[in-house]
Amino acid sequence: MSGMRVDVKVVMLGKESVGKTSLVERYVHHRFLVGPYQNTIGAAFVAKQIQVGEKCITLGIWDTAGSERYEAMSRMYYRGARAAVVCYDLTDKRSFERASFWVKELKTNEELCQIYLCGTKKDLIANDRHLRQIDYHDAQDFAEEIGAQHFETSSKTGNNIDELFQKIGEDYMSSEMELMPAEEPGVDLNQKKNSYFYSCCLSN
Amino acid sequence: MMDGGAHTHRATAAWDSSSLPVPVDHLRSMRAESPTPGLVEGTEPGAGQRSTMFIHAQSFEDLTAEAEEEALRAADTAGEECAAEELKALIEEKNIQEQHKNHLSTEARTREEDVSSDAWRSHKKHVFVLSEAGKPIYTRYGTEEALSSTMGVMMALVSFVEAEKNIIRSIHTDGCKVVFLTRSPLVLVGMSQCCRSDKELLRELNYIYYQIVSLLTLTQLNHIFQHKQNYDLRRLLAGSEYLTDSLLQRLDRDPGLLLSAVTCLPLSSNARDVVSSSLQAAKSKSLVFSILLAGNQLVALVRKKDQFLHHIDLHLVFNLVCSSSSFREGEGWTPICLPKFNTAGFFHAHISYLEPASELCLILVSTDREDFFNMSDCKRRFLERLSVRSAYQALKEALKCPSYSVDQVGIPELRHFLYKSKSSRLYTSPEFPEVYQSYEEQERLMVLYQDLHSCVTHPTRPLHSFYRCGETENLLARVTSGFELYLCFTPLSTKAMAVSAVTKLLKWIRKEEDRLFILSPLTY
Ligand SMILES: Nc1nc2c(ncn2[C@@H]2O[C@H](COP(=O)(O)OP(=O)(O)O)[C@@H](O)[C@H]2O)c(=O)[nH]1
Ligand SMILES: [Mg+2]
Repeated sequence: MSGMRVDVKVVMLGKESVGKTSLVERYVHHRFLVGPYQNTIGAAFVAKQIQVGEKCITLGIWDTAGSERYEAMSRMYYRGARAAVVCYDLTDKRSFERASFWVKELKTNEELCQIYLCGTKKDLIANDRHLRQIDYHDAQDFAEEIGAQHFETSSKTGNNIDELFQKIGEDYMSSEMELMPAEEPGVDLNQKKNSYFYSCCLSN
Repeated sequence: MMDGGAHTHRATAAWDSSSLPVPVDHLRSMRAESPTPGLVEGTEPGAGQRSTMFIHAQSFEDLTAEAEEEALRAADTAGEECAAEELKALIEEKNIQEQHKNHLSTEARTREEDVSSDAWRSHKKHVFVLSEAGKPIYTRYGTEEALSSTMGVMMALVSFVEAEKNIIRSIHTDGCKVVFLTRSPLVLVGMSQCCRSDKELLRELNYIYYQIVSLLTLTQLNHIFQHKQNYDLRRLLAGSEYLTDSLLQRLDRDPGLLLSAVTCLPLSSNARDVVSSSLQAAKSKSLVFSILLAGNQLVALVRKKDQFLHHIDLHLVFNLVCSSSSFREGEGWTPICLPKFNTAGFFHAHISYLEPASELCLILVSTDREDFFNMSDCKRRFLERLSVRSAYQALKEALKCPSYSVDQVGIPELRHFLYKSKSSRLYTSPEFPEVYQSYEEQERLMVLYQDLHSCVTHPTRPLHSFYRCGETENLLARVTSGFELYLCFTPLSTKAMAVSAVTKLLKWIRKEEDRLFILSPLTY
């Protein structure tokens, strides 16, 4: 493997302890770590390949800390992102308010970035409905208003997480399609025997 | 003849060394095989062969800190008796039994602790950080809110004495000592029940100060408090308290912080040379330091020419890496200020483990915050080289025995020692023997070493040699211009045995120095 090629820059945003790191951990390593909470220091990067239709693309995921200390630097982490997963904790109203701060930031600075509003820790609500502090429909309305996708996930059970990132991949592919020239070259039958299909995901 | 030992050592290594840079240095000829305690700085065992990795000349801050200490001795009078009473009441000694119980249950941080409880009072060492306006910033035990009245008392003390142009340094009452350190815009207070010297406590407070600066930079700190004296700094430090907590634990347990030195992973010099030169080759314009760590031990350090790392900064990096689990998740990219290098700005550190479950952590310190992918590429190139030259395997082998037993030295009465080469600022120490297996015993031994250290580094009346007989062990400290040596013997040993052990140990360290130290540090 030589230098890293990233197709889609994805940034995780949201108040600290909403579960950004757990989300990435579940998606990339299929696990949920229990133990004392530790804030992410600065930011962490991880690359993950996914299959979208016939194509294989690499997501470059930036997990940020979300603490005030790094706020001045946050721009550098989301600059040029094609997708932002803005997280809030379904059991913490303040984290939802914080989410709108990040939405505003993105709207003013990163027009091209598609926003995915993500309510986390859904398993906690499944156990006890009273814990829910953000109504599903309120969040849905907010998402529509800002032109975002809306998900509710649990990193503990894995619920809805693959779907979230799959959607990011698909949205990226369809936006790339739009950018492609309308007239695609026709298929050259003579070339067919050479056009082996290599899936880069296989070598993983 | 003087090179003979080193050569046979090399010849036993598994790979061809012809492609390696051969350290030809005439200094080597001065490195006696049986070094005597009288040898000069630069030729002691563990001294670097060409240059050193760490800053040598004392920095401005070191010098002023020393001047402060002298002033301290002069100002250290009993003028603050009545105020001292109040503070003493906070940490008076509780009965031993209770203390012991509490100690065991509070290994981990106990933030929610009731500050009026006996448990809170019985902690051996308290540390507080406040702003000059008296706002709480950090406390080692309990919550800052619950402590704000205590902090208020301390602030009143500080401002009272400062107004009198008589800067408060420390308060001594029986069984307790309180030391103040004003490093604008922060005020740090340490309280200890052990009879630690002011100097030791100040050193620790300075570390805490640097820890905070490394997260924010001094420029940012000053900026904040100039604009808003009343600012609540905890907002910016949220989530980083564990770093200060673990630094305080290190100060109690890690000989490196005591000795102002760093220890290395024992590794054959061949393997180390390959690791270093692979790091050296994986360079990039913005790269200033490449540091490879194995847990608390340094494996290799390559630096930009003319740029030196200060051991305090390296300890802060050790602390950051070892106490944070978050770097295990992927490649970390974080701003970090190295306060001894420059308090004004951030470096950007690429931090990642070589493999998910590995102990080996690579830290690439860059000046450019946009350079993440370049750093990531440097890491990849480093790993490639390392595997091609099969040094990675050797490194992994070395990790299986990251320390050595004191028995190897062959001095039966010797239980443990700390040896520091002053010119390289590297130290070596064997693993703790059977008798010091528990945390309590290890901490007790560290306290003994700290006492010895204060005696031999006393700012005005330093001792060059110091022997102390005890019920449970006998101790000897020996300091020359080239090294510091602290030895711990069985209580049955004699002073004569201890003295002759020094020569024997120096000879052993000389024999092993290739493996125990980094003798030829590289630059890009
Ligand atoms: N029950 C439950 N706990 C979660 C979930 N996601 C995260 N957590 C917990 O929430 C805390 C913060 O998670 P983390 O991912 O570190 O948050 P971050 O600061 O946003 O990165 C941790 O203690 C996690 O164990 C989840 O889906 N369910
Ligand atoms: Mg996190």
